[in-house]
Amino acid sequence: MDSVFELKDVVFAYNQTAEPILNGFSLEIERGVRTSILGCNGAGKTTFFNTLTGVNKPQSGEVLFNGNPVEYTKKGLMDLRSNVAVVLQNPDEQIFCSLVEEDIAFGPLNIGLDREEVERRVDRALKDVRLIGLNRRPLQQLSGGQRKRVAIAGALAMQPDILIMDEPTAGLDPQAAVEVMELAEKMSLKGVTVLISTHDIDLAYKWAETTNVFRNGAVAFRGNGDEFYSDIDNVYSCGLLAPSIFTMNKDVSAIKGMDPKPYPHNMCEITAKFGGSKRSGKIYMVPAEAENAVSKYEEVVKDAKDSTVGIYGSEVRFELQDKDIEFMFEGLDYCFTQAVKGKDTILIYDSIYAPTIQRQIDRLKEFGFDADTEVVG
Amino acid sequence: MSNAVLEADNVFHSYSRKGPKVLNGMCIDVPKGKKTALLGCNGAGKSTLFSVLNALYKPEDGKVLYNDKPLTYKHKDIIRMRTDVSILFQNPNDMIFKPYVEQDVAFGPENLKLPKEEVESRVAEALFTVGMEKYRKFPIMKLSYGQRKRVTLAGVLAMRPSVLIMDEPTAGLDPQMAYEVMEIAEQLNASGVTVIMSSHDTDLTYSWADEIRVLHGGQCMYSGLPEPFYSDHRKVQTAGLIRPSVFMMNKALSDLGRCDLEPYPKTQTQLSVKISDCRDRDFGTLNILMAETDTDIAKALEDNGLTDVTTGIYGLNARIAADATGFKPKFRYNGPENCTMKCLSGEDAVLICDSRMVDLAKSSAEFINSNGYGKIDIRSV
Repeated sequence: MDSVFELKDVVFAYNQTAEPILNGFSLEIERGVRTSILGCNGAGKTTFFNTLTGVNKPQSGEVLFNGNPVEYTKKGLMDLRSNVAVVLQNPDEQIFCSLVEEDIAFGPLNIGLDREEVERRVDRALKDVRLIGLNRRPLQQLSGGQRKRVAIAGALAMQPDILIMDEPTAGLDPQAAVEVMELAEKMSLKGVTVLISTHDIDLAYKWAETTNVFRNGAVAFRGNGDEFYSDIDNVYSCGLLAPSIFTMNKDVSAIKGMDPKPYPHNMCEITAKFGGSKRSGKIYMVPAEAENAVSKYEEVVKDAKDSTVGIYGSEVRFELQDKDIEFMFEGLDYCFTQAVKGKDTILIYDSIYAPTIQRQIDRLKEFGFDADTEVVG
Repeated sequence: MSNAVLEADNVFHSYSRKGPKVLNGMCIDVPKGKKTALLGCNGAGKSTLFSVLNALYKPEDGKVLYNDKPLTYKHKDIIRMRTDVSILFQNPNDMIFKPYVEQDVAFGPENLKLPKEEVESRVAEALFTVGMEKYRKFPIMKLSYGQRKRVTLAGVLAMRPSVLIMDEPTAGLDPQMAYEVMEIAEQLNASGVTVIMSSHDTDLTYSWADEIRVLHGGQCMYSGLPEPFYSDHRKVQTAGLIRPSVFMMNKALSDLGRCDLEPYPKTQTQLSVKISDCRDRDFGTLNILMAETDTDIAKALEDNGLTDVTTGIYGLNARIAADATGFKPKFRYNGPENCTMKCLSGEDAVLICDSRMVDLAKSSAEFINSNGYGKIDIRSV
């Protein structure tokens, strides 16, 4: 396994007399894998993150980064932190400057990048989190959700290999939460290893490839979420509950005498599994960029008036925000659900997400559903 | 409106003279005895509205009515109202007043000038309800965020309010603790308390609320049952919301002809029932074992010949009884739902249930029976 981080028998306590928070903790984080960290309050999630970034130096045990032990020297930590970016749960804890662009530039300037490169990165990051035009805005004038996006932009501007997000959707309203998860997906597609800790089990179940569950400062489970949730006694003892889509699949499969496998992870998959066979509706797939989103949208709706439209990706969404679009958020899941229902739809997406959409097409094949797709424009 | 316990009538409010109107002609009612969810994106005015309804802010313009009478903002009237209307803030650190747990929980009741014994019994009961009786003498500083949230909830319960306002009650809580807070809200409502709750979790509020109120730009843009609102995608989008997944899945499966659109399932279990289509099979019996705090559960199960039947638990008194005797139910969470599904798959189940929560505990099984999705025998023991 190609791991970015490897922790071996790590013991960490906040002081000598206190009980260790991490107590014989061993875990590998695999490169490029969407990884979730679950566990109840006090399980050691935040302490673990601080160990990855070198904030906490373990009393014993080993922390390997890219196969080499972390050096707790100024140079060693600088090297670590220019590769590992963290978005804290509370954005106010990581905002250092008074203006948006200054704050985003803070990290890149600190690692000694030249002014032009920093500016390029700041512009890019502002675009990614959809805060274009707010460069010179004082941070205290922004809402909690906007400040969270500034914190994320600051992490993206570091162009990290590893992005750690602690409760990324907490306190965000539902639409903002969808966009943050799209952003996490975009980072994964760019090759970044993304780690997310969250109390939202439904969200984690939908998103993660590898599920890690912490309990009392140790790893209680590492692997596939479907396997973990199948043992409800263990789920309870870790302070968790099973995701609702998992429970629904288990219940309905049991009653109908069906195999719980394959496990549906979102709406289009569960609809494909229990909806019965039907010919796929046509999905017109429209990859777009900010520059051509409007013209492509107008072109495609002209040819297919009766189809519903869905959006995936914040750049396209930003350009089309004034249009009357039924699935402005979560367009990917909704459009594929429409196709399962036998209805034609149009899915307009930021072109970078093509692999994400291909993944959904492949997943649906496991449920015996062959989506009828056509790339347009 | 006579069934409104609280009402804002054309209320305006801003935080500074030149600042934007956070409440901008707000007209809204809180229906008596119901569970109401307050929805809206960040900045829509939810928290400000709560503070106005609790008379923490006096609005610049417009009226707040409590039991049909306008608030006068005289000290005496405000105190009287606040003995009745309690608010649980999102961040527990905003509402902790005293260094020790029991002092903090007693703070409200002491302010009501209740006799000492009455204060003590209320504190004990409230700490029990939130599962924090062990921490009675603890300094609050040493508690985690989730534990502090429980302490502040206990402080609110000790006031024995008839209206409970909860601002994002599950934010920052782990799944089990969030479930427990919702169960407490359910239990209070079952005993007659009006509950209004704001939350960004549309799935959670959809399964919980009788009615919704949606705020946008400092006004109430929708008031009523959730389904008509979620059926209008333009409204949902304007409000900055997302449609609940149970609602959307029900729509998808009914479009496919797997089930009818109505009745609308509120929970994932009810949806499972609709699509399972299991009318022509044998069902298990749902045994409901009513528990008080001193019930010996293992013995009661034995007396009724239910020792080997799958168990679930629901409600505070049942949990206390189980803890006291070390009884471990199979389904510690979502007991009514899990037990109902067992019955649907043909096995018997027994739900150990707080005697005050029986109606709620039966609701999923009754959803099945009354809509013809199956016939589960419900037997009280």
